Amino acid sequence: MQISPILSALRHHKAGTALIAMQIALTLAIVCNTLFIIQQRVAHLSRPSGIDEAHLLRIQNQWVGQHGDYAPLLAADLATLRHVPGVVDAYATNSVPLSGGGWSTGLGLKPSQNGPTAMTAIYFADDHTLPTLGVKLVAGRNFRADEISDMPALSKPTPPFVIITRALASKLYPHGDALGKSVYVAPDKPSTIIGVVRRLQAPWTGNFAASFSDNSTLVPFRLITNGTNFVLRVRTGQMGNVMRTAPKALYAANRMRVIPDDDGVMPFSAIRAKAYASDRGMAILMAVICVMLLAITAAGIVGLTSFWVGQRRKQIGVRRALGATRGDILSYFLTENLLIGMGGVLLGIALAIGLNLWMVTRFEMQHLSLWYVLAGAVALLLLGQGAVFAPALRASRVPPVEATRSV
Amino acid sequence: MFAYYLQLGLRSLRRNPALTALMVIAIGFGVAASMTTYAVFRAVSGDPIPDKSAQLFKPQIDNWGHQHGRTSDEPPNAMDYTDAMALMRAHKAEKQTVSFPIGPSLIPADSSAMPINVVGFATYADFFSMFEVPFKYGGAWPASDDAQHASTVVINAKLNQRLFGGSNSVGKSINLEGHDYRIAGVTDNWNPQPRFYDVVNGGGFSTPPQIYIPFSRAIDLQMQTFGNNSCNGPGGRGDSFADYLRSDCVWLSYWAQLPTAAAVASYRSYLQAYAADQQRAGRFHWAPNIRLRNVMQWLDYQKVVPPETQVSLLLSLGFLVVCLVNTIGLLLAKFMRRAPEIGIRRALGASRREIYAQFLAEAAMVGVAGGLLGLLLTALGVLGVGLVFESQIARLARVDPALIGLTLLVAIVATVIAALYPTWRASRVQPAWQLKSN
Amino acid sequence: MLKMNHLSKVYRTEVVETYALRDFNIDVKEGEFVAVTGPSGSGKTTFLTIAGLLETFSGGEYHLDGIEVSQLNDNARSKIRNEKIGFIFQAFNLIPDLNVYDNIEVPLRYRGMKGAERKQRIMDSLERVGLSSRAKHYPAELSGGQQQRVAIARALAGSPRLLLADEPTGNLDTQMARGVLELIEDIHRDGATIVMVTHDPELAARAQRNVHIIDGQVVDLSEEPRFHSHPEETTQSQR
Repeated sequence: MQISPILSALRHHKAGTALIAMQIALTLAIVCNTLFIIQQRVAHLSRPSGIDEAHLLRIQNQWVGQHGDYAPLLAADLATLRHVPGVVDAYATNSVPLSGGGWSTGLGLKPSQNGPTAMTAIYFADDHTLPTLGVKLVAGRNFRADEISDMPALSKPTPPFVIITRALASKLYPHGDALGKSVYVAPDKPSTIIGVVRRLQAPWTGNFAASFSDNSTLVPFRLITNGTNFVLRVRTGQMGNVMRTAPKALYAANRMRVIPDDDGVMPFSAIRAKAYASDRGMAILMAVICVMLLAITAAGIVGLTSFWVGQRRKQIGVRRALGATRGDILSYFLTENLLIGMGGVLLGIALAIGLNLWMVTRFEMQHLSLWYVLAGAVALLLLGQGAVFAPALRASRVPPVEATRSV
Repeated sequence: MFAYYLQLGLRSLRRNPALTALMVIAIGFGVAASMTTYAVFRAVSGDPIPDKSAQLFKPQIDNWGHQHGRTSDEPPNAMDYTDAMALMRAHKAEKQTVSFPIGPSLIPADSSAMPINVVGFATYADFFSMFEVPFKYGGAWPASDDAQHASTVVINAKLNQRLFGGSNSVGKSINLEGHDYRIAGVTDNWNPQPRFYDVVNGGGFSTPPQIYIPFSRAIDLQMQTFGNNSCNGPGGRGDSFADYLRSDCVWLSYWAQLPTAAAVASYRSYLQAYAADQQRAGRFHWAPNIRLRNVMQWLDYQKVVPPETQVSLLLSLGFLVVCLVNTIGLLLAKFMRRAPEIGIRRALGASRREIYAQFLAEAAMVGVAGGLLGLLLTALGVLGVGLVFESQIARLARVDPALIGLTLLVAIVATVIAALYPTWRASRVQPAWQLKSN
Repeated sequence: MLKMNHLSKVYRTEVVETYALRDFNIDVKEGEFVAVTGPSGSGKTTFLTIAGLLETFSGGEYHLDGIEVSQLNDNARSKIRNEKIGFIFQAFNLIPDLNVYDNIEVPLRYRGMKGAERKQRIMDSLERVGLSSRAKHYPAELSGGQQQRVAIARALAGSPRLLLADEPTGNLDTQMARGVLELIEDIHRDGATIVMVTHDPELAARAQRNVHIIDGQVVDLSEEPRFHSHPEETTQSQR
């Protein structure tokens, strides 16, 4: 196909050509950035928490009417829960991954260090924690039952030893030799690292913990306060039953307690959905906009090309009369669209990168990968070819006799 | 003449139903996408207390400095107990309050009923008048209750409904964590969004508070904050409640009502002087570093509008622009296809202006149709937002007359703007065109 | 009625200048019926478009009904076209989207005429061309001759002082052509000035005066103005 006659024909349709090119450019710019945001969101929300979410249930509990010694209540409730049919194991803690609330602190390698070496989430844990959560130890050992001590709500945690995540271990001791070393949770007393687990996410999914989302420290304490989170490991297929029977068993044992109606009893699937609701929502909204945008652009190309074909029927008839085959006419329009599309795509690449740079400075987004731009460019060229195909086919069916007809 | 143009426009649009539908759909979707995200944006970025937002100020005092590896130059976003109490005692503003969120359990008088969790604030009497809290029964507790650490409580209408069947419960008692509190007032529906007075906890879009008790009483009972607590020093919270109150942990929200520019200026210099005093006394080892932001400045500083919302508003606007470019192209095609008709009309005596008016009227009709479709889609979109965004935000986005009007206006204005170029082209068609082509 | 002095029309492209009309002089008196003839490309259609204020010219003067039109803006030109000139085109140039009634209404609308008067005029002119029963038909539903009669009705409805016709029978068969020509002569009898471009000598013979254009200039054929003759006779005599 010769390109120069197409180009000179396009010069007579400057406005239409420019409009299609502009539409392709804008679509490319928006779609690239949108897909990039979707990809980031999806990557964010599919980050593993490291726990066996499918089998886990959280019950939020607050004891009322008693003051002071909550330790016996805690022990009694745990015993009650471990005997509920369908429950494999249970423990009590201050917070769990994805819950959005918890304790964070800086860890040092020296006493009273000025500025922490790493930030970490603090989880209160006992010997049941790792088996309940299904978190794998990659080095060292679990806590023993006799190592767990009570800690009142307002005291400083000064654990004699801790279990940390692999991510945190490599941050503290980059040479992979964290096990057995010391770390300062409290400013003055060192804690020995007795175990390293493969993965355990911090409670926060937002920006707050973005820099330490996989840094977690398990401390061998029972938090003695009026409120606690029970985490239950449930046998496969028993989740529905346990969600009903476990709170009943707690109330039967002691009714002076509050388990909130709305989010008091939540399986981890629900906790995950809630934690990532806005990420997922954003991804869906963006995807919907993307699809609509592509559809509108394709429809616009169909509309304008149909118009051109209608306008040039006589010209097409003349070409056919002069010996052009159907294939020639078809490829004429396809090539024409490809030329416009390439113009639009070139402009679009510049726009996409510009838009991304602006969003990087304005919304602290990440830099757009060039692969997205290239993939988007190819996709839009293909979309254009697809959209132009039907009108081009119609053009190729214009009979040569059209040349002799007046307008 | 306008009616004639509308009639012509309608006829022309009916001639190419597919092209017309395409334009209407493009405008409809473009407008709906931007209006839906705008509804969300409007809900989260509005002024929660328009008549007073310029008078209510949030003082911040830097009690952390660059200690213990901290690098930020901004003071913490909450206040420690020491500073809050010092400011409260100084009483330099017209009105002032300190509060923190509480989440006690409420034990019903009926011993067979289950205890429930309630959320609310420990605060001062000025809270209610400063933030224009409306009352259904009774009112705020008197300032003397603050001084006397009284066991008094204000509850909201919904809790009053649950506990007392909605009757006037002023003077009755409720039991929180084993202590009786006398009800001073029942608030009417009050839930300004964003929750400017407590954005630090819950991002500004939480459920409405159910109870309020005097701050002084809550401290006596060693109630702990139900919200965030941040400590900077190695001492952390300390080992006891008394240690905690002496610590540098920040967990209190302070607000001052400063009605005039002079009051703001003098309060600012007071804060400056206070921080300087603390430096002299050796408590702060750094120069005074204070802030005094009003409601809107504070919401902006706290980035209450989620960046997702802004990004999606932006992308939706981009989407609208693409739809407009699309409409320009289609209108151009549609109008230029009728060049012969324009030539005839011109030959028969239509002026350029008359051609312009005719085609602009036709475009405006596309705009109206697009606007109506857009309205429908916006309503669906706002419903769909509930599935997409966090429910606390989604709940705030709604379709009201302002949004309906804006949707139609945007659709029509956008379409007419899109039509300017194609219409200009149409009006430039020479009357001689048809004669020449034959 | 229509007077052009030393009028010229130049078409300029990037490479060449083409004179469509040069030193063009013509004077058509009120109530005259003039036929303009000439070979293809001689400039007769250009003359007609300029005469009808459809196009501007490059030099010279043009007085239409006593008004020098070269300085008029687009609005004023539109107004003159609308009120003083009627057009009949070879290709009929009806608006396909509008039915017969609405087509005829177009110039009246631009004149800002009241609805009742418009209706009266439309029905009158339709009756005159013998198409009263076809008011609701669309152009595509009519034969060529009927379409041209609608076009004439449209020109008639505005009671133009000047009727410009460009090969009005060019697309019609003899039978239809005759009917159209009779209508034109009818209009002439009512007092309108008529300028008709044609390359058909038979048609030209029906006019009072013939103007011949060659290479953009009026060529004097030294013909005396003819008497108005009865159409029937002329048609027969030339067969």
